[in-house]
Amino acid sequence: MDGVVEPRQLTTTRSMTDRIFRGGISASGVAVLVIMALVGVFLTIRALQALSQAGLSFITTQAWEPDGGNFGIAAVLTGTFLIAITAIFFAVPLSTGVALYISEYSPRRIRQTLISLVDLMAAVPSVVFGLWGFFFLQGQIIGLARWLSTYLGWIPFFSVDGSDPDDPLSTATVFTSSTFIAGIVVALMVAPITTSVMREVFSQAPVGEREGAYALGATKWGMIRSVVLPFGKGGMIGGTMLGLGRALGETIAVFMIISPVFLIQPNILQNGTNSISALIALRYGEATPFGTSALMAAGLALFLITLVVNFIASSIVARSRSGASTD
Amino acid sequence: MRRRILATGLLLGTSFFFAGAPASAASYVPVSGSGSTWSANAVDQWRRNVNQYGMRIDYQASGSSDGRNQFRNGTVDFAVSEIPYGLKDGNVVDQPPARPFAYMPIVAGGTAFMYNLKIGPNRVTQLRLSGETIAKIFTGVITQWGDPAIKADNPGLNLPPIKVVPIVRSDGSGTTAQFTTWLAAVYPDIWNAYCQKVGRGTPCGFTSNFPSSPGFVAQSGSLGVSGYVKQDQSVGAITYVEYSYAKAAGFPAAKVLNKAGFYVLPTAEAVAVGLLGARINSDLSQNLTGVYGNTDKRSYPLSSYSYMVVPTTLDNGFSTEKGNTLADFANYFLCQGQQQADALGYSPLPINLVKAGFDVIKRIPGAVVENINIAKCNNPTFSADGSNTLAKSAPQPPACDARGPTQCGTAAEAGGGASGGGNAGGGNAGGGNAGGGTSGGSSGGTTDTGVAGGGTAGGTGTAVGTGSGAGTDVAVDGGGAAVVVDPETGQVIAADPVVDPTTGEVIVDPAAAAGGAVTGGAYVAGIPVSTEASSGWGPYTGLLVATFVVVLALLFAPPLVARTMASRRAGGDA
Repeated sequence: MDGVVEPRQLTTTRSMTDRIFRGGISASGVAVLVIMALVGVFLTIRALQALSQAGLSFITTQAWEPDGGNFGIAAVLTGTFLIAITAIFFAVPLSTGVALYISEYSPRRIRQTLISLVDLMAAVPSVVFGLWGFFFLQGQIIGLARWLSTYLGWIPFFSVDGSDPDDPLSTATVFTSSTFIAGIVVALMVAPITTSVMREVFSQAPVGEREGAYALGATKWGMIRSVVLPFGKGGMIGGTMLGLGRALGETIAVFMIISPVFLIQPNILQNGTNSISALIALRYGEATPFGTSALMAAGLALFLITLVVNFIASSIVARSRSGASTD
Repeated sequence: MRRRILATGLLLGTSFFFAGAPASAASYVPVSGSGSTWSANAVDQWRRNVNQYGMRIDYQASGSSDGRNQFRNGTVDFAVSEIPYGLKDGNVVDQPPARPFAYMPIVAGGTAFMYNLKIGPNRVTQLRLSGETIAKIFTGVITQWGDPAIKADNPGLNLPPIKVVPIVRSDGSGTTAQFTTWLAAVYPDIWNAYCQKVGRGTPCGFTSNFPSSPGFVAQSGSLGVSGYVKQDQSVGAITYVEYSYAKAAGFPAAKVLNKAGFYVLPTAEAVAVGLLGARINSDLSQNLTGVYGNTDKRSYPLSSYSYMVVPTTLDNGFSTEKGNTLADFANYFLCQGQQQADALGYSPLPINLVKAGFDVIKRIPGAVVENINIAKCNNPTFSADGSNTLAKSAPQPPACDARGPTQCGTAAEAGGGASGGGNAGGGNAGGGNAGGGTSGGSSGGTTDTGVAGGGTAGGTGTAVGTGSGAGTDVAVDGGGAAVVVDPETGQVIAADPVVDPTTGEVIVDPAAAAGGAVTGGAYVAGIPVSTEASSGWGPYTGLLVATFVVVLALLFAPPLVARTMASRRAGGDA
């Protein structure tokens, strides 16, 4: 006996097909990363000219007059977040409800139809949402906006400058083109993706635990509260964050609805707001080379923010129990 | 016999159709352009028309600034812009492109002030504004419709204290450039004070990006601003936009005070008269100072030409085939296309600019020089002696449109008639004519007949005293000059029960007449504008329903089909 036992070498001999397939999908995976990195590098290079001139004031300035040297993203960034938060505020309850109904309550016969409908909603071009928001929703939503500002105006976010509930001649235009309306339209665009993620997670809630809850005498709602929702929490947060990522970047619908202002405008019901992507869409065509560089800088900021949001979302989804099977 | 007439008619029709049509129906290639939304309605109409000749012209109305930028970068074959290259906007000079180019005038038009204003339930359609009032409105000095300055312009309207909401363009726009050029030239003090307020350097001159301020609403594109103004909730809104957009939206535009003291609408005639004062530079670009100060009674002060920027060399992928297509397109719109200008809300080019335009076409590489008989273009401005027929035959404005206590189509006109004797009757008819021009003579659903009728009754009451002055189609100007009222328009008005100056029905109502006479100031413009679709089941309603059905089918068919197929498959498995 030699005394030394060499562990047996395990090797896998992959067939040609296997290797080609693996190579192909690895290349795709790497390509995504490379493209993302290239986008970032491109934006940074193009933005450098503007960023080096503006320095830190790029974060704190509200105005956007790059050719006058006075420009920054303080106003547009605030607007972007306000619109996105408004959108999430409407989209999350809506999506949760839809997802729960589809996965738990809907009759099996129409379930597939409902799923297709929600997916179809994601396929509606955003310009259609924009047109709808501008020509239809805006006129209809003013009543709600006026009511909110009249009775909740003491909350700083809901106050509207220039609206006087006692004056029958006061103009309704102060309620148009607002963060609120843009947010609702974006909410409808975000809802499908959020719903899809949530529905997927809810439907994976382990059958054993569901049955267990029923066995202990839970009602259906009790079962959902004690099994489905806790199980799907990670997916809900992840879906919300994915939706937030989309809401931050939504361009054309916001562009059509808002009346761009370059001031930090915290009153969400008030006319006038802005967002980074709408700013880029608005000014890109007519910008001077330096103006383009400034727009690239704004784009870079949006790119980084969206990246961070999506990164957080995916890490939450990954760490949650959602999708894991029970023992 | 009848058949022969028909055949002749057909022949005539066809020859008319093809008069000046591109002879070289050869290989057309798609040509792309972008730019002005000001003239987009005309360009879009023309490019749809030339589709039948096999020309594909792509045009993206993304604003003049964007158009000039794209042409400079070589991403489009032509641009349409209100202003030329090389002007200094703020502290940026709009550099001309490196590629050689030329300007070609394409159409004239008036920058109109479209508004949405109601007094009670009635839509105001006869608003009059002086230049200074407009300047103050768009610089935030006037914030209420009830402002004394606006009241001074509109003695016949009892304007309520509704907030004025100026709607401006958020994108870089030639309309803004034209409007601010006028502001900077005519009202430099008001404009510079505003520039200072919003933090722009003074004297700030013209700009393509209107500096918005709180209380203003900024929208992108001419469709954006006109679409915003026409919405129900936008009462109190006013915007600057080419007249065709107001026409298309069925909304009124303000009559603007010209140098001669008359309030005038941007009709094709008024624009043609106004532009008689324009000076054309050697590169065909325009100097409008003479238009702003045009002392003709009929002129509209914010008239201007729109230009196409065309390449003159084969740079940036421009080919002779593209040149040929573009040249034939230009041949079309400079000749036949001008006939449609008036109907669309523009004004046709005068003969000197059409000729100059044809000279520019020759410089486009690949252009096949054609012998186009300009006289056959049927351009309404052409005449044998070279003068501008449209401007020559433009009607004088009615007396009630003069600056003063009378106002066409309102009860103040009646008051003026009572004091001024017989002449006001003529003014009434003339006013009806002007109003008919705005509204296309259709009666709108929004005008409250009771109140408007009261106002008109007052006017008619005076007209009765003057005999048939208002009844016939000839009316007498307050200043003594004879005004010829278009008989057709007169008929349209006569058919309109609300504003009819000749029927006796309303006069019989003493209460209304008395009301009109006593509290004349309380009445609203009586000429209705059609702002709502006619009720009933029209072809559009049918189309709408069909669209609705198609959309529903598109929405529900795929999932339903998928389900059916899935269940069938499941059934097969079982």
